[in-house]
Amino acid sequence: MSKLMKYEFRKTLATKLILLGITAVAEIAFLLGLYLEKTRLLATSVAILTLLAIGGILMIGLGSILIFHRDINTKQSYMLFMTPNSCYKILGAKVIENGLSILLGGAFFFTLGAIDIALLFAKEGNIQEMWKWIEDLIHSINKNIQLDAKGLACVTFGLLSSWIATVTTAYLAEAVSAALLNGKKYNGVLSFALFLVITILLSWLGQKATQAIVSVNLGFLIQGGIFLLASGLMYVATAQTMERKLSV
Amino acid sequence: MLESRAITKIFGSKTAVDHITLKLEKGHVYAMLGPNGSGKTTWMKMAAGLIKPTSGEALFEGAPVSIESRKHVAYMSTEPYFYSWMTVKDVGKYYDDFFLDFSYPRYQALIQRMELAENMKTTALSSGMMAKLKIAVTMARDAQVYMLDEPFNGIDLLARDEIRHCILEYATEEKLLLLSSHLVEEMEAIADRAVFIKNGRLIECVDVEEMRGERGISMADRYREIYGHGEGAMA
Repeated sequence: MSKLMKYEFRKTLATKLILLGITAVAEIAFLLGLYLEKTRLLATSVAILTLLAIGGILMIGLGSILIFHRDINTKQSYMLFMTPNSCYKILGAKVIENGLSILLGGAFFFTLGAIDIALLFAKEGNIQEMWKWIEDLIHSINKNIQLDAKGLACVTFGLLSSWIATVTTAYLAEAVSAALLNGKKYNGVLSFALFLVITILLSWLGQKATQAIVSVNLGFLIQGGIFLLASGLMYVATAQTMERKLSV
Repeated sequence: MLESRAITKIFGSKTAVDHITLKLEKGHVYAMLGPNGSGKTTWMKMAAGLIKPTSGEALFEGAPVSIESRKHVAYMSTEPYFYSWMTVKDVGKYYDDFFLDFSYPRYQALIQRMELAENMKTTALSSGMMAKLKIAVTMARDAQVYMLDEPFNGIDLLARDEIRHCILEYATEEKLLLLSSHLVEEMEAIADRAVFIKNGRLIECVDVEEMRGERGISMADRYREIYGHGEGAMA
């Protein structure tokens, strides 16, 4: 499995390096803006870094779906399927590599954000005022979110788990498209419909399960747990579909 | 060693392989012959476990082809299939990581013989160089079965000679080599058995020497008979 993961990582390396490069440039711009007191540069770099934090995680997931699509629909598939590895291992390496990339990516941007905010506070001095501004901003999104380390960790866990579930759902839709609907009319439409139905169902399930829970943190934790469980189920269903029906 | 029992593959409305029952034994070099679209590649891919049959089964040493059989069967596709980011060295390392029977020193010797360099990008290789690389990486395995799909496609005479020599070095009593091609003359010099496939069906599997001795015809003559360019062509 570790060797498969090594190559999965290698396949996504270019995307990650590009993301890292752009983040480094934006971070330098942020530091220059902060210490040279160029307000416009500071504001622009903050906006770019915020976009990168959200878009970066999305990019890692979307990149992984695209690679999976290529790995089961093009001649490149032989590289995986002629090796003595089961579909469970092949897919497992993809899910773990992608899950880790999303979690580590999330942790990276979270840490970078925390450092940048700390630097901003240290430079500006008026910590309390700025903290209140951030709190007001978060509360305008959801007034129950608590802006402490525990609260942020719960929100991050919930959001990242939800994204991992979305990616594994896409894997299942791709596998069904390639293995069961290949060559059939409306293949693309049907597999996309499957993706939408599962995604909506999961979202509904997450909301239902946390409806009666008052604590936002606990709600995010339960939703995250449901999404991770669903990811596991999606993994088994995808690997079974590939093992039994996929021709490359 | 490698066999198929009534194996069939249907793609939509087209039957690519139609109830082929075939048993291939070790110690022989088989030429799988037939024009393009006759079902050679599909049969090979089913035997390699890459394509799931619609019905019937493919077996290696009496057991259905599986993850286990992939450890002993070396398959070379006719299409390029390496990742675009790979160099010649990366390809060898990849095989070294996944196949226990792969020998990196042998791979290095083969690529040197094929006049390839380890730092060459696979995307920059010509079709002839790509064919050589595929042969080198496949033959660097010490597999029990080698299935090479159209190994002489798109390459010049000198490269063909090199590839032919390389293949023949591996034709021992313990190994089975199966080569598909529509270049019959090329196969005549390598194979001792011939499998003729037409429209997805097995016409016959013959010993080339016996065919010459008993029927007085060569592999090419028989090919013409079956595929319609000679006297007594089959319908």
